[in-house]
Amino acid sequence: MNKSIFKITPCFEDIMPDEYKELVESDPFGKGLGVSQLGTYKELLEEHPLCAGCGLALSLRLILASLPNPEDTVIVGSTGCSALAFPQVALHNIHSVFGNQNAVASGLKRALKLRFPDKVKDVVVIAGDGATADIGLDMVMQSWFRCENITTIMLDNEAYANTGGQESGMSPQGTVLNMAPKGKKFPKISMPEIARESGCAYVAAISPAQPKRLEKMVRRAILTAREVGPSYVQIFSPCPTNYKFKPQEMVARIKQREKEGFFKSKEYITTEAQEYLAGLEEGKKDE
Amino acid sequence: MYVAARVDEEKCNGCKLCILTCPDPNVISIDKAKNIGINQARCKGCGLCVVACPKEALTVS
Repeated sequence: MNKSIFKITPCFEDIMPDEYKELVESDPFGKGLGVSQLGTYKELLEEHPLCAGCGLALSLRLILASLPNPEDTVIVGSTGCSALAFPQVALHNIHSVFGNQNAVASGLKRALKLRFPDKVKDVVVIAGDGATADIGLDMVMQSWFRCENITTIMLDNEAYANTGGQESGMSPQGTVLNMAPKGKKFPKISMPEIARESGCAYVAAISPAQPKRLEKMVRRAILTAREVGPSYVQIFSPCPTNYKFKPQEMVARIKQREKEGFFKSKEYITTEAQEYLAGLEEGKKDE
Repeated sequence: MYVAARVDEEKCNGCKLCILTCPDPNVISIDKAKNIGINQARCKGCGLCVVACPKEALTVS
């Protein structure tokens, strides 16, 4: 069965834009492609307006490449830098009110379960740190308490980068930004621990400096959310514009922060999720 | 003036590290013969690929 969701009506081929034609010709739908095949197929993200050297853009690109079945995935986004890139994503996506993304995703997942009971439909929330840890923490935590089968992915750039550089709950202590001249007074929120205690079956923290590991964690999070319970992935993606470093130093910055001990990649799995994932990974080997 | 990455094909060994660090999609492509191609109209010239390249085959100008 052809799983492509993009087609051109016959006789309209010559007026369609080149990007669209490329997407129809070499799309990744239903082929089981991943991060290691990047560069050989048309990606689901198109030219976006994010800054040069943006860690968030790299994370988003890697997430979209590592979705287990992109043709049946719905992405829920929220206000922030990531929202600027969503109009260029070739997947079903919803933009919600700031902070409301997990509430929208909960309803969407329930409706999809009723409408397509025999199909696997993934609902993935991709939002920034402002929408997840500050403004939408209520909705995010309540969706975890209710054990909704959704994946929450936070793109942590440690500031409200889109509006000129205000401090967010995820900024490290003492950070001085354009609109936080006195420095931040309290430490970074430890979201992975909050998620683990709130009932998430799978929790991970990772950075785009390790693309293969990021792919593995995003895949595991989405597979866990299908059967076991909610999952959470936090991706550290530094912002060169607001933290005022050169765009080419983005990956070096992640490694420096890792060395200083401010960022650590983590993974928490419940025993139930571990058994489920072990079963799936064994099944793959047999094939 | 536009700034974009360029590849020196003699130095490149096709390790794909540049593809995995580029924040912009569809800029760097690779074919079956491991030849790297750069779409200069889409490149923003951030220089992340230059830092990542172990063979120093990439330049931004």
